[in-house]
Amino acid sequence: MIRTPAIDWLTLAPSLALLAATIASLMAAVLVPERRRRNVSWFFCLAGYAGAFAAAAILFDRSPHSRGVIANALFRDRYGALAAMIVAGVGLLTTLVYYGERSTVDRVGERFALLASAGGGMILFAQSANLLTLFLGLEWLSISLYVLCALERERPEAIEAGFKYLIVGGFSSAILVFGAAFVYGATGTLNLAQIAGKAPSGDLFLITGLAMILVGFAFKASAAPFHTWTPDVYQGAATPVSGFMAGATKAVALLVALRVLSVSFSAQEHLWTSAAAALAVTSLVVGNLAALAQRDLKRMLAYSSISHAGFLLFAITAASSLGTRALLYYLIPYGAASVGVFALAALHERELGEPATLDNLAGFGWRRPLSGIALWIFMLSFAGFPLTGGFVGKVYLFAAAYRSGWTWLLIVGAVATLVSLGYYLAVVRAIYMRPEPGEKAAAKEEPPLLDRMLSTAVFAAVIVTVGSFFAVQPLIDLAKHAASQLPL
Amino acid sequence: MLGPAIAWYLVVGSAIFAIGAAGVMLRRNPLIMLLSLELMLNGANLVLIAFARRHGSLDGQVFALAVMAVAAAEVVVGLGLVVAMARRKIEIDVDLLSRLRK
Repeated sequence: MIRTPAIDWLTLAPSLALLAATIASLMAAVLVPERRRRNVSWFFCLAGYAGAFAAAAILFDRSPHSRGVIANALFRDRYGALAAMIVAGVGLLTTLVYYGERSTVDRVGERFALLASAGGGMILFAQSANLLTLFLGLEWLSISLYVLCALERERPEAIEAGFKYLIVGGFSSAILVFGAAFVYGATGTLNLAQIAGKAPSGDLFLITGLAMILVGFAFKASAAPFHTWTPDVYQGAATPVSGFMAGATKAVALLVALRVLSVSFSAQEHLWTSAAAALAVTSLVVGNLAALAQRDLKRMLAYSSISHAGFLLFAITAASSLGTRALLYYLIPYGAASVGVFALAALHERELGEPATLDNLAGFGWRRPLSGIALWIFMLSFAGFPLTGGFVGKVYLFAAAYRSGWTWLLIVGAVATLVSLGYYLAVVRAIYMRPEPGEKAAAKEEPPLLDRMLSTAVFAAVIVTVGSFFAVQPLIDLAKHAASQLPL
Repeated sequence: MLGPAIAWYLVVGSAIFAIGAAGVMLRRNPLIMLLSLELMLNGANLVLIAFARRHGSLDGQVFALAVMAVAAAEVVVGLGLVVAMARRKIEIDVDLLSRLRK
């Protein structure tokens, strides 16, 4: 008789909900007649994300102490539960935005199945307590996203984006596995909690493994110099998917990196904080300077997400409880604003039938006043203006870096914020202050098609972005409960 | 322990990984790049199995099995994309895959 580990179903519930949603929407793609397929698949995906969010909230409530469950394969703790809630929230909004996405081919069932599947992988990844589940979660989410990027295979750009993402993603996963192999060699265990203290802190294998794992995470979080895939993939993928990748993939990659580094490599803290500082500075420089030069909106947002990886890496550099709290807090308005801004880009694309650029955004704010205000709010939140959650998040991250003694990093961050105003405000200027090109005036005559789902998602994203400024305290409390479960 | 010392397995595993990494970065044919990705993963597998043997634990071997399964899934997607590219008559040369930069 084989002894099987006790299964803690509540810990698994968020990813199981999304796995069930995946299967249900995939079956709907086969069994449901074509005219109702979109609605049915979409509903299952939405229900999966809503279920995952609810399950993660219950898990958060019922896990006052961090512990390993299911033969120590997963953590049952508030940190993982909050990460799952962020992923589920971003996924929920993305599902709404994705509903109205036009496509040249009929693959509506598959698209929602893959979206749900990617979310399930992210949640498993965020909860993983050993290197094997970490790798499996990572690949689950990555492979879903590769296919999701290339799904509209009639568009050559989509295939190109999918293939580039696959090669770079596979490359980074291979580096991560190789690093994990050396960590296993040095310590004889795959369990994250047991890795710490098993080998002398200067062990060559352990340091090599740590460096390679860090590189693997940097690829996933699209931190420079491991960012080269990001602009191409964000530009080529369907616009709502790019928003999902910016809001959710980056979030889990950074959260899991922080967990692995603090739980397993506390003895090497001086090494990985310096490495994170170097990555942060490169990301800020590369992301901001390249973003200034972009005319294509999605490409600009991709570089903006690279520079945000730099800001978010401040939390890992700080390596403190305050830093963890700042990261968890900032990911909430950042995720909402990412989905929201890509939703508006999708709206604009669907109207024009061509990619959104700063030039063809001219007059957008007058043609669609409410969407214009929403776009304005998201840009201000990215730039870190008061009255948006981005402001509190940035102040919090800077405070964490300062408290841990990284004063020079603050200066880099402040300069980067100033530079970032250049391209964030360029969007605001484009939508209000540029004359509308003459030939586009015809498009103005047509009644704008109203997409209720998309408007709901944008509205919800605005509420979260602005609300996180006014309701700071409850969110900080959530983040504090979650952060207290990391050994920092 | 039977067979060569563990260091040799590590050297061979790392060499395979390095050849794969060089292949991904230098070669321009999508099929060869997929093949090189597999080499990287298999180099990691060899290292994992060698360490599992040294520690006398099964964890590393289970990890290697999981890596093989995942690698197969990744290649299925990769080959699917290569076929899609061929059908759409997209150049099978990564240097020419630059529609997105314009």
